[in-house]
Amino acid sequence: MTRQAAPRAAPTLTAPLEARDLRVGYGAGDILKGVGFSVRPGEIFTVVGPNGSGKSTLIKSVAGLVPIREGALHLFGQDITGVPANRRVDAGLAYVPQEHNVFRNMTVGENLKLATEFLSASRVATHTQRDKVLAMFPDVAERLPLLAGNLSGGQRQMLAFACALMSSPDVLLLDEPSAGLSPKFVQEIFAAVQTVRESGVTIFMIEQNVAAALPFSDVALVLVAGEVRLVTPADRLLAEHDLHRLYLGEAA
Amino acid sequence: MIAQLALNGLITGMVIALPAVALTLIFSILKFPNFAIGGMLTAGAYLTWVFNTLAGLPLIAAAAAAALAFSAIMVTSDRLVFRPLRDRGPITLLVASMGLSFILENVCRLFFGNLARNFDIPISRPYRVADLRINPEQITTAVVTLLAMLAVYLILRHTALGRAMRAVADNPSLAAARGIDRDRTILWTWVLAATLTALAGVLIGMDRAIDPMMGWSYIITIFAAAILGGLGSPVGAVLGALAVGLVQEMSILVIEPQYRQAVSFVAIALLLLFRPQGLLGQVRIAR
Repeated sequence: MTRQAAPRAAPTLTAPLEARDLRVGYGAGDILKGVGFSVRPGEIFTVVGPNGSGKSTLIKSVAGLVPIREGALHLFGQDITGVPANRRVDAGLAYVPQEHNVFRNMTVGENLKLATEFLSASRVATHTQRDKVLAMFPDVAERLPLLAGNLSGGQRQMLAFACALMSSPDVLLLDEPSAGLSPKFVQEIFAAVQTVRESGVTIFMIEQNVAAALPFSDVALVLVAGEVRLVTPADRLLAEHDLHRLYLGEAA
Repeated sequence: MIAQLALNGLITGMVIALPAVALTLIFSILKFPNFAIGGMLTAGAYLTWVFNTLAGLPLIAAAAAAALAFSAIMVTSDRLVFRPLRDRGPITLLVASMGLSFILENVCRLFFGNLARNFDIPISRPYRVADLRINPEQITTAVVTLLAMLAVYLILRHTALGRAMRAVADNPSLAAARGIDRDRTILWTWVLAATLTALAGVLIGMDRAIDPMMGWSYIITIFAAAILGGLGSPVGAVLGALAVGLVQEMSILVIEPQYRQAVSFVAIALLLLFRPQGLLGQVRIAR
């Protein structure tokens, strides 16, 4: 990991997260066909798009779980395009997967412990960080000795959140935080997202549930068929644009 | 008679437990059934024999040296054989592991021939306790296996490596997202598996003799034990091994000794009919 990466075209200011012309795919073709964006500090940046638009591939490639074929990814100006997932956490990028987001065969306490055990010393959560995280998620704090696999979907999502925050990330990646949760929990989750943002963490999330996510978002990116269709302040997306027409491929 | 058979069965089961746990660890972390376990057993025994008779180390020191050397061999084998195929699916890896087994076995044959070898240890007479005949080797086996199992348990439950192994076994991509280096975890898994298998090779070599085919006569039983316990569960593999050992020995009461392997197959077939996930395996739901 070189600190001063990509001498050409210095990233604008030092955006917490910036992607340029990302091409990502699994087999022959590319799923992401040149995706670029720039997330500003302290912002909640939400990617929406129809099924199969590549949202999931996008967040996985940012997390480092799917290799980037072309393009560049910068974290605070540092090139992390080729950095493996397990070292991106050290760089300050935490990821909450959509499902299978906790280790089910371990207790809640073990899950939290494991969240920082393998990080470099600078990331290892201090006790204050642990206390802060547990205070933010009382539901999790109450259940430390329980097996994570026995938690409800909502509690698991909270635990996954808590684990990601243990590493005191600068940027938090959320893969459909509301998926599979009851409406009550959806509100709770997004409230938690906002609390996290208020503590200075920049948030990049993908979300299927546009109606629930937009009120909590600052910027929305509409991804259709692996390409960026529109980037707009979140509150203007529904007011000024027709989402269905965007999804169907008409220009904004 | 029955008590004697039960004792022998338990000891046999304990020996099998070592490679069965190794098999189950490899399976849960690398996701393939490692047929090289037979060749590994043979190679571990021969390495110990080299350190014991050729280098003249006492058996315990020879076994320790062999475990170290064999760990290095298996880590190298992983680099050369399994790592390039890592994401090719279990069948490819299974076939590769068969190939590795042949290589390990035939390297032993190349250097040491087909003749059976024995460790340089004094021949000792069995103890008599009540009506039971207990060989000193059986006591050694029991002590070594129990210590090894305890060590594996402590490693898996209470060390960072154990948590990393359980994490990678459960969910490799989440483990990566938590900062766990999969390749390093795999490396240590091979060290653990190589050590356990080499120890079993030594115990078997003490009990019978060391020959190039020794791995083959155990491979089915080892697989049976691991499957019986539910592949992926170390505690299950131990229980499965004890069950297979007991059933094989006890079966002598009703059928000819040469059919005892068949008995464990029948037992496995019956168990898997009623409990397909094995004794302690988790129900896998295909999506």
